[in-house]
This record gives sequence, structure tokens and C-alpha cells, in this order.
Amino acid sequence: MSVGTRQLGALARLSVLELYRRKDLIVVFLLSAVILLPLAFFAPFGMTGASRYLNELGLLLVWLFSIVIGLGVSVRLFPPEFESRTIYPLLAKPVARETVLFGKYLGALAASVSALACFYLAYMLLIGVRQGVWCPLILAQAFVLHAGFLVMITALGLLGSLVMTTSANLTLCGLATVGMLTFGQRLPALIEAQPAPGRWVLQAIHWIGPHFEFFDLRQRVVHDWPPVGWGVLAGVTVYAVCYAAACLGLAGWVFRRKRF
Amino acid sequence: MDVVRLDGVSKAFGPVRAVNALSLAVGQGEIMGFLGTNGAGKTTTIKMLLGFFRADSGQMSVLGADPFAPETRRRIGYMPETAYYYPYLNIRELLSVYGGLCGMDPQTARVRAETLIARVGLVEAGDRLLRTYSKGMLQRAGIAQALLHDPDLLILDEPFTGLDPLARIQFRDLILELKQQGKTVFFSSHELSEAELICDRVAILKQGSLVLCGAVRDVAGDGQQNLERIFLRVLGDTKAEGEP
Repeated sequence: MSVGTRQLGALARLSVLELYRRKDLIVVFLLSAVILLPLAFFAPFGMTGASRYLNELGLLLVWLFSIVIGLGVSVRLFPPEFESRTIYPLLAKPVARETVLFGKYLGALAASVSALACFYLAYMLLIGVRQGVWCPLILAQAFVLHAGFLVMITALGLLGSLVMTTSANLTLCGLATVGMLTFGQRLPALIEAQPAPGRWVLQAIHWIGPHFEFFDLRQRVVHDWPPVGWGVLAGVTVYAVCYAAACLGLAGWVFRRKRF
Repeated sequence: MDVVRLDGVSKAFGPVRAVNALSLAVGQGEIMGFLGTNGAGKTTTIKMLLGFFRADSGQMSVLGADPFAPETRRRIGYMPETAYYYPYLNIRELLSVYGGLCGMDPQTARVRAETLIARVGLVEAGDRLLRTYSKGMLQRAGIAQALLHDPDLLILDEPFTGLDPLARIQFRDLILELKQQGKTVFFSSHELSEAELICDRVAILKQGSLVLCGAVRDVAGDGQQNLERIFLRVLGDTKAEGEP
């Protein structure tokens, strides 16, 4: 194993250990178990045909929890290091600042994706018990794209953690995430309907903003629509990786210039 | 070759001149005490030696290389002024993480960590989270992490702070033992009595400028004065000179 790999592994382990030793993750896990698992056996008002609504509710919760964990982990990657000054002994080790940044990112991503896998397992159990279908292809695709979404929000949260306070970063990233998931698809129509100054702002958001709506396959899963094409899946995954790389590149530039 | 070399190094933070044309050299196997009052520029100098930021002017080298290069830090052990470590880890996990950062293979890091944990007297507290440690215990943990990768140069920022008398003696012995192994120790301190006991040379800094540098026995002259008196005299004289 190379020195660089060992360093990345050590930094990633640090982020994962921190996340799993903080009690808030356990709370999210417990919440997801308490809410998702009973849905599998729940027949609202005695109706057994309400599966789609319950599936939709289950997936909505999975998305909500993943945003909480993804942003919750990434926005706290650096501010506690700066506040508690643990960054000093860390940077005094023979490790490049870029490695510190990427290692911490990998740790946050590993922690978020492992939590997401747990949520999808619970959801799989939900639809398996209710519909007898244990792992439809569309659900596997939904998981892959959801992981791609985490690749992006983790990078975005990390970038913000270098230039903002934790609360400001969390608010801004939370708004951007929910805003793009809700309105991202309608942006082209909104741009057409706007007069000049507003149109420019929306166009800037359209071109620069993260298109999280590409990663949301909830409707396809809930309504049993056919899986998406592999080319589309690959294209969206490449988009996630490129967007995250741009955020990490910018974060690396900021971190290299940061004075401690 | 000098292990640490500073030639006319200056650093300012806005209008505040933290380090002013500082020139200093530390030879191999030497214990150098870096003394001064609060705000004298000791920690700023140490941060520059560790490559945390660059000097505004002047030249500096550590172990013959640029301190900004990560490779240089492979041979430096650093202990911060106050112990800043991850409260959710225990000492074994902390040393394992730092071992990984130093590029050590896990088995070597584990063996070295156990040796150092025993050396600093933290065996019984080895499985406790660092957040339950006292200040003195955290200082011991700091010593262990600084020595983990067997560095040639140790940079210690106020290492005696928070240590009880027994730990001070043990730490003093440890520094002398490291010197016998050919290691170089560069430490900042307010503890003049400790500095006097273990240092080969001392450098006294005031408002970022070097006001005295020399071997302890030379500085003390005929042995009539201790370091505390010299420290007071030097800083007092300089102040008197600077005043209108």
C-alpha cells in the first residue's frame, strides 16, 4: 500500500469514526427504522391497495434522511478542526493539504453512502413485504443515482465548510438542495417566462447550480416505470463526479491559501 | 549542516509585526530553548517552521529543506502548545490515525504506539476516550504523537504546561534521552527553570526580535546569575533602550 493511500485511509477513518461516535447519526438511524419498518405492515384505514402512497412516503423519508446525513457530515468536516485547533497537529504531519481535503471528503462520503445503503435496505424490506418484489432493477438504479447525489452534496458541503460557519453553510446548502430538487426541472420554463434581469439570474442558476433533480428516480420506483437507460445513468454519474471534482478543486485552492 | 536555519525572517499580520528580521541556527543534537513573553513571536516562528504559512521576507530551512514540503515534515515531530486532539478517539486510535498520516504501515505503527503509550505512562488510560483525559494526560498524549514516527527534529510549543512535577521530571529525562540519540529539540517555553536545566542554548525573543542568543553557561556568565534574572534583565534593558 502506498504512502498516499495510507494517508487517505487514515483521514477517511477519522471522519467515519467521528460520525459514528456522534449520537445524532444513531438518532437518524433509529428514526428511519421506527418510521420505515412499520410502513411495511401498515394498511391505512384498512386499505391494502395504498402501497404506492406508502412507498412514496418511504422514499421521501429516505431522501430527507440522506440530505440530513450528507450535509450534516460534510458541513462539519473542517469548522470543528479550526475551532478546536486539531488542525495544527494534523497539518504538522507529512501530509499535503490536498490529501487532507480529499481524505476527509472520502470519509464523509463513505459514511453517508453506508448510511444510505442502510436506508435502502429498510426500504427494500418495505416493498418486499408489501409487494413481494425484493430488488427491482429500478431500485438499484435509484440507489446508484442517490449515491451520485451524495457525491455532489458532500463536495458542496465541504467547500462551504472552508469559507462559512457551520450554520450558514448548512442553511445555504440545505436551501440549494431542496430548491434544486423542487424547482430544478422547472427552471427552463421559468427562464422563458422571466423578463431580462430575472432571466439572467435564473440562467446563471441553471448553468452553475447543481442539478439534483437528475438523481431523483422516486416517481419511477413508486409507479413501477421501466428502468432508465444505461447511457443516461452513466451520463448523470459522470455529471456528479465532474461537479464534485470542480467543488473539490475550488476547495483545494481555498484550503491551500488558508492561514492557520 | 544546521537543522533549523532562519535568516532575516519577518512576518507581519496586518499592522502587527509578529517576527522581525529573526536570524537563528540550531545544530544537530542540540536542545534549543526559545524563550520570550506572551506575544513575543515564538508560536508564529514555530508555525513557519512547520510550513503552516510562509514568511513575508527572509530565508528559512528545516533539515536542509523547505518546511512547506510535506516530505520535510516526515522528519519533524510537533507538539502543540495546548493539547488539541480528537475527543472521540482513544490514544491508540489517535496514534493509529497519525501513524497512517505519517505513512507508517499499520503493524509498525501499532508496535510503536504501544511502546510510546507505555513510555508516557498512559497504559491504563489507553482505551479511554481523549475527552475524559486531564490536561496533563493530554500533554502526555501529545508527546507520544510527536515521537510516533521517530523524527530527527522535535518542535515543542510550551511542552511543560500542565504537567505535574513527576511528569515534568519524566519529560525532562525523555528530552535528554532524545538528545543522546542525536535528535534535535527546539522548544518554546515560559518555564525558565526547566529551560536552564536541559538547554544547550537559549534564544530570547521580544516583540518579534531576537534580543539574546547563546549557550546557557555563556549567558549565565560566571554562574552568578540564573536564567530567570538574565531574562528579566534582557527584557528590561531592551525596554529601557526602546523608550524615549
